[in-house]
Amino acid sequence: MNRLFSWLSDRLKLPPILHHLLDEAIPGGASWIYIFGSVTLFLFLLQATTGTFLALYYAPTPDHAYESVKFIQEEVPFGGFVRGLHHWGASAMMAAIGLHMLQVFLYGAYKPPREPMWIVGVFLLILTLTFGFTGYLLPWDQKAYWATQVGINLVGSVPWIGGTLARILRGGAELGALTLSRFFAIHTLFLPWLIMFLIAGHLFILRRVGPAGPWDKARAKRISEPFYPKQVFMDAVAMGAVFLALVVLVNLFPAHLGDPADPTDTTFRPVPEWYYLFYYQLLKYSEGPWEPVVTFVLPVLFFAILFAIPFLGRKRERSPARRPIAIGAGALFLVFVFTLLGLAMKETAALKKTDPAVERGRAIYAKLACAGCHRIHGQGAQVGPDLSFVGDARDRDWLIAHFKDPQALVPGSIMPPTRLPEPELEDLTRYMLSLKKG
Amino acid sequence: MVNDKSSSSRRMGGNKKTAEVTRRGFFGKTIAAIMGLIGFGLGIPLFGYAVLPTLKKREEPWSEVGPLELIELNRPKELEVVRSSSSGWMKSNTVRSFWAYKKPDGEVVAFSPICTHLGCGYRWSDADQQFLCPCHNSVFDLEGKVLAGPAPRPLDTLPTKIEGDRLFILYQEFKAGLPKKEAI
Repeated sequence: MNRLFSWLSDRLKLPPILHHLLDEAIPGGASWIYIFGSVTLFLFLLQATTGTFLALYYAPTPDHAYESVKFIQEEVPFGGFVRGLHHWGASAMMAAIGLHMLQVFLYGAYKPPREPMWIVGVFLLILTLTFGFTGYLLPWDQKAYWATQVGINLVGSVPWIGGTLARILRGGAELGALTLSRFFAIHTLFLPWLIMFLIAGHLFILRRVGPAGPWDKARAKRISEPFYPKQVFMDAVAMGAVFLALVVLVNLFPAHLGDPADPTDTTFRPVPEWYYLFYYQLLKYSEGPWEPVVTFVLPVLFFAILFAIPFLGRKRERSPARRPIAIGAGALFLVFVFTLLGLAMKETAALKKTDPAVERGRAIYAKLACAGCHRIHGQGAQVGPDLSFVGDARDRDWLIAHFKDPQALVPGSIMPPTRLPEPELEDLTRYMLSLKKG
Repeated sequence: MVNDKSSSSRRMGGNKKTAEVTRRGFFGKTIAAIMGLIGFGLGIPLFGYAVLPTLKKREEPWSEVGPLELIELNRPKELEVVRSSSSGWMKSNTVRSFWAYKKPDGEVVAFSPICTHLGCGYRWSDADQQFLCPCHNSVFDLEGKVLAGPAPRPLDTLPTKIEGDRLFILYQEFKAGLPKKEAI
């Protein structure tokens, strides 16, 4: 290894490059607080790698997208692992970017001469959010379909140009094949080039202006340490920890794949990914004249302020203690976001309390292949009655009696008697009763 | 603390046994260990993910042809069979044909419809009681043996089985032009 290195090094003249890459001075010395940028970059590379491999088995058309994701998840060796890493990696990347921005804000590291780095950073944030939005649709399950429907309709509510924007996003008048292939192309071809270009810019600026270091200038001058080995060591430990955490998460909570997208099922309630959840909660409180304010004015204002942050204060003071307005505003924003997030999580937790008996009943319905004759929300054959809203039409006693002896209640029925033990019969009935309008 | 210049000169040539050097060594080894861990933790699953499905032996399913009455005694007929095949998440049906007849002892003989010479389709001629391949004049008898022409081997037989009164076939394709029967 060493001999190979010196052989290459002789020819390619590596020492100056290594010196340039690794010996950059960190003012104030290495610190655990600086790991977030590296962790974000690591997560981006992880997303790029897992995403590239996912594309091996993925088909971006409505008639195959869901099946191909199911194939990855259930049949390809390590498929659940690769998809899970990509799924949780996206969330981890959002968290890492949030912490990275928080640290930069707290340290006043966006102040001159680092304004360009901050601006490129905000563009990177927007790109990452777009990655999240376009990637969400690709599994083409119910959640993907309906969440994207809501997202595009939000864009559609923008005054004057909203309708046109929504059509451009959808690739036409309705959410379908053109939307999926368009989102796939944006997610896997357009955005990666763009983000790599901007990441390179972000890092280029960092190397031109140097890291900011601690806000105490005297301290920054007193101590200086090269990037290698201590900062690289800290970054590596952080990356290793994040990777291990992701592996544990993927094994404990595999990426979910719901029912296939069904445009006719209006009972599905989409809940967005957690990093959009606070905004989703805000939308619930906005009615009537407030709606365009929340769907349009607020986001535009938010990103405008984000871009303007380096230019809002004239002073070069970086110590948080001497920037009460900036730190106060930032803290207020965080309290606001986390309150909304907390409220949203409380409400969705209440929403998800589906009866386990209903879930067991749904499993029995699938096991007995009832869909071979009956239809529920567009799924299944149309030989027997449509059961989409059977809970409104029949009561418990009727259903149980009918399962035991269909012909006794419906003369001439071709439905076979359901020979099930009492508890399973009860579960199946509970599932039937849950099929109601509204 | 180390300043910029002395640390780089140490890495390039110096081998002074100072505390600084062993500290560098510890950091360097830990970094390499963590990177190796991530590399293997990611590399092995990704390799399995990309490669293992391609090594899976394709399992050819038995295809149902139809009732046994379709087959006549010592008189080959061209029959069609719907063969289901799957590629990844895609399942599709393709129609293939084959030649079959019944021997006096009840055994069913089935031939692949492809001439063993260059892969043309051949025909049974009732008048000649022979299989004739028109392209290059290969001739086979009822047993599939080569009687004349450039065909390098007898007609390829296909495995058949009978369940009740239904005939099943294991459809396969073989490489043409070889003296030995070899599945594609």
